[in-house]
Amino acid sequence: MNQSETVIEVRNLVVEYGRGANTNQAVRNISFQIKKGESVGFIGANGAGKTSTIKVIMGFLFPAKGEALVFGDKAGSVQSRKRIGYLPEVALYYPFMKARELLELYGGLHGLNSRALKEKIPPLLDQLGLKDKGEVLLKNFSKGMQQRLGIAQAIIADPEALVFDELSSGLDPLGRYELRHVLLDLKQKGRTIFFSSHELTEVESLCDRVIMIHEGRIVTESPVADLMKPLNLFEIIFSLDSASMPPVVTKFNPTPEGDGYRVLIDDIAAYSEALSALASAGAVIRSASSKSRTLEEYFIELVGEKGEKQAV
Amino acid sequence: MRSIWLISRTVLLEAIRRKEIYAITLVSLLLLTVIFSIDFFQIEGLMKFYREVALKIMSMATALTVIVLSSRQLPREFENKTIYPLMAKPLRRTSFLSGKLLGVILAALFCFSLFMFVYIIGTLYVGGGIPWSHFLQYIYLQLLQMMILTTLGFLLSLVMNLDAAITLGIIFYITANILITSFTYLYDFVGIFGKTMLTVLTFIIPQLALFDFSGKTVHSEVWPPLDLNTLAILTAYAFVFSGFYYLLCIVIFRRRAI
Repeated sequence: MNQSETVIEVRNLVVEYGRGANTNQAVRNISFQIKKGESVGFIGANGAGKTSTIKVIMGFLFPAKGEALVFGDKAGSVQSRKRIGYLPEVALYYPFMKARELLELYGGLHGLNSRALKEKIPPLLDQLGLKDKGEVLLKNFSKGMQQRLGIAQAIIADPEALVFDELSSGLDPLGRYELRHVLLDLKQKGRTIFFSSHELTEVESLCDRVIMIHEGRIVTESPVADLMKPLNLFEIIFSLDSASMPPVVTKFNPTPEGDGYRVLIDDIAAYSEALSALASAGAVIRSASSKSRTLEEYFIELVGEKGEKQAV
Repeated sequence: MRSIWLISRTVLLEAIRRKEIYAITLVSLLLLTVIFSIDFFQIEGLMKFYREVALKIMSMATALTVIVLSSRQLPREFENKTIYPLMAKPLRRTSFLSGKLLGVILAALFCFSLFMFVYIIGTLYVGGGIPWSHFLQYIYLQLLQMMILTTLGFLLSLVMNLDAAITLGIIFYITANILITSFTYLYDFVGIFGKTMLTVLTFIIPQLALFDFSGKTVHSEVWPPLDLNTLAILTAYAFVFSGFYYLLCIVIFRRRAI
């Protein structure tokens, strides 16, 4: 397989629930590709169509129109599932089983023999912070521990691609930190990672590219670096009598901040000009910094714009 | 084949580790103990009657276990969402169903073996003999019945919710055991339409009474064991019904969104 080979391909996908007059389109004619070695975040609000798309990729749902291919095979085929690891959004694992038994089951279904399982399971449990938990019944596992075990079952057979639905759902900060390390390690090994997440900071740190989906349609598909570029903002917090406010500052609508003001400027030349004008006017500059909007803020703005346009 | 075994092992593990199967077994064993303790009359006819009742209780308890276990396999997987990581593995939907089917039969066999053990110990304790050829045929026919009920339980759970599937499964089991027998008597007293309906129903509803060999096992001195030809016909009969139900399960499950 070469580096540019397509791992996941979604073509004109439409997913519908219900029938007749009650039909609800969850995914509306979306297309995208994930190449080998890429790490792609799939972002959207609840009900945006993320899980429906992922379910089609895994072969759980059948598309109303369009198709999904995994490694060139029809999504859901046994061939495609041999090369993919999957973590569901919510899953309870069999409470009557021990962690080791569960991993033996999933690893066995992936074709690993007993010897390979015996070698793989202890370090995998250790890697995911579940050392010494192999013989514990899953009914005694917390939600976070179950999620870690879910990650273990997804990667036990060392698949070429990973599809995670709601990556860090149920994990505490430590769990998220450990998971990030696991994923970065997999990324370094050249694994293809496609995941949906509500944690946009996580997406920022892990992804090469993001696909944003809103109400079943893709609203943005771009490398993370490109998305972050136009996000730069400059923030000045200052104290000054409002009567002496220079016009170059007032045009950026200063907002009260404590006993002073705060202004956000999206142009470096204007920022420099505003700083000089404030200094000349005798303002006390409390802080002046380059402030980047987060991916989360960008997403909310983008979704808000779309929502307003649709409302109009 | 390995994937089928892995799935069936999970079902078996659940049956062994959950307490409900032991509750059914314990209640049945209590009943059996009571039955076998009534030996002070030393009346052979009464003893045989009790032994027959004991075998029927074991058949019924096993059948109920099979209906409950098979009906809940698929709905529970969906309800707890355990089906997602499972079906994300390179596992065919037919293998998944076959594994579940095998697992339920193995779990039912586990339960049935406990009954058989107590029955044998109880019978030997009160001084009765075990007619082994009859007894083995009784076990074999029970196995065939389990197969029909398991596939039926799966089918019902695919087309209705868990409670409805269990209720209908039990009604079906009782109907198949009692009503079909009464069809024979009714047949002579109904008109052409009634006769047609009864004939159709006789073919649609598997006659589970055919698989009840408890009476003949207890009265083995009167009834010879079944000949191989009859056993083969009964086996084919069971395979036709369970095969038909299983086929329907596959058709429905393969098209079902998860």
